[in-house]
Amino acid sequence: MLTVEHLSCGYGKTQVIHDLSFQVKVGERLCILGPNGCGKTTLLRALAGVLPWQGRVEADGVSLQELSPKQRAKKIALMSQFSQTAFDYTVYEAVMLGRYAHRNGSLFPAETAADRDAVEDALRRTGVWELREQSVTRLSGGQLQRVFLARAFAQEPQIILLDEPANHLDPRYQAELLENLREWTADKKKCVAGVFHDISLALAFADTALLLEGGRALACSLVETLDMKLLDRLYGMDVRSYMKQIYGRWE
Amino acid sequence: MRTGVKMGLLLLASLLALLLGIGVGSVYVPPGDILAIAAGRMFDVPLPEHIPASYSVMVLDMRLPRVLLAFLTGAALSVCGGVMQSLLQNPLASPFGLGVSSGAGLGAAFVIVLGLASAGLGAFLLPAVSLMFALGTVFLVLLVVAKLDRSMSNVTVILVGMVISLFCNAVMSLLATISPVCAQRIQLWQLGSFSMREWSAVWALLPVTVLVCLYFVRYAAELDVMTFGEEQALAMGVDLRRVKGRLMTAVAVLTGTAVAFVGIIGFVDLIVPHIVRRFFGAAHRRTVPACALLGGTFLVLCDLAARTLTPPHEIPIGSITALLGAPFFLYLFFAGRKGR
Repeated sequence: MLTVEHLSCGYGKTQVIHDLSFQVKVGERLCILGPNGCGKTTLLRALAGVLPWQGRVEADGVSLQELSPKQRAKKIALMSQFSQTAFDYTVYEAVMLGRYAHRNGSLFPAETAADRDAVEDALRRTGVWELREQSVTRLSGGQLQRVFLARAFAQEPQIILLDEPANHLDPRYQAELLENLREWTADKKKCVAGVFHDISLALAFADTALLLEGGRALACSLVETLDMKLLDRLYGMDVRSYMKQIYGRWE
Repeated sequence: MRTGVKMGLLLLASLLALLLGIGVGSVYVPPGDILAIAAGRMFDVPLPEHIPASYSVMVLDMRLPRVLLAFLTGAALSVCGGVMQSLLQNPLASPFGLGVSSGAGLGAAFVIVLGLASAGLGAFLLPAVSLMFALGTVFLVLLVVAKLDRSMSNVTVILVGMVISLFCNAVMSLLATISPVCAQRIQLWQLGSFSMREWSAVWALLPVTVLVCLYFVRYAAELDVMTFGEEQALAMGVDLRRVKGRLMTAVAVLTGTAVAFVGIIGFVDLIVPHIVRRFFGAAHRRTVPACALLGGTFLVLCDLAARTLTPPHEIPIGSITALLGAPFFLYLFFAGRKGR
């Protein structure tokens, strides 16, 4: 469960997010929608501890400001858009790195049984168990995306933040990835908040939507009861007829 | 092949290189004799009859410290190279990018130009001053970076490091122009040499190398996480600013100490980690010890070439590493990535 109250943040003197408040309940999937530059990614970066912020954020009933970086990482994981590496780690090693927050700071921290179980569960859940001995530098974009999701699962957070998780994925991988997340949220009583550009994909995946306009909340409501006219205002176009136009041929 | 087996083979290669480095020279001393001489000194037993007494001094007081100095320098530069590449997420990064080498060079140039190097104190004054300058330069780089950019992003580090390095180099050229007599010495120092053969240099570099390597192993997990990008590292719970500051300081101390004693030796820090990652993967709990062993071996062999190829002249060690390193590096690029 994630509670955000009066959150403000930005880069240097430029404030991007203004006094934002919203909530994600246990088992809920939130999608964050808004035009380019409205602060979607900035919001995720702030919540994940990448950017400094003001306000109050509670994860799992604990204020984030009272937590050390490792303790925070046990509550919130981020699957960012541009994570990649030029170095030859195996898939297994890359996912094991998700356990970083659970390690103690001893000189030679050993992998525990809990670490190995969490990694195996994450690898199987995302369907990359078979690839575990392969180098991450030789995976396709879709495979890599699933490895990063597995790493977020291995971190065993309460909340996973996703930045454009479906980018670069073909429809089958998109569907699989979102299904993975849906199962994880339901099985483990967790929550997910994700930024999406594809509105129809977002509304199909999420049960709650947060509409961001210029760094402020335009609305936050259940997808079922969302006033579609707000989307038109948000994107400055007739979203529904555009969707009908591009998806019409499938009917 | 299992990691343990590979590491064992590498250790064996290191020992062979050390024996070869000690044995080959103006006179050849076979490995058995080297061990006999070492045992003779350590346990105070008389030497076998076929070994002249003068060999004891030559092996233990001239060749051994030189070979060990080469090994430690190779280990230090390679390990720091590997760590720097992970810190900056760039397989081509080098600890010299932080300004270590130009700072050390400037310090050495000051000592040479002021004529302090030839005084009795000179043997220690030159490394001491150049280490101070190296650390000072890195500190300046990090200070400017921290002022410019709170998150200490990699691009800022690389650019500031470059600007300050170029400035130091300019001052060094200026000193060389003012005093042409010293220019040649400065230039020679810049190419590196192990010819000082002093045990004192070994005793200075050994503890720093061992401690800093252990420090890097302690931070192996953080380094692993950081290779996947700073945003991810922060989100995964790494206290990035602090860890990065500490690791860069450790890199500066170790590189600075090595450079202060032997001068600037390039390419080791680039090639060795590259090869190591190919055979051992990228995880730092393996690459740090493997870089130390392979880097040490490599530099012992390079030094062997430097002093035996063109007798009685010695080729500057920095030229050898560059002559071998540059083509090898290009080969690595063109060959592309292959399996481990």
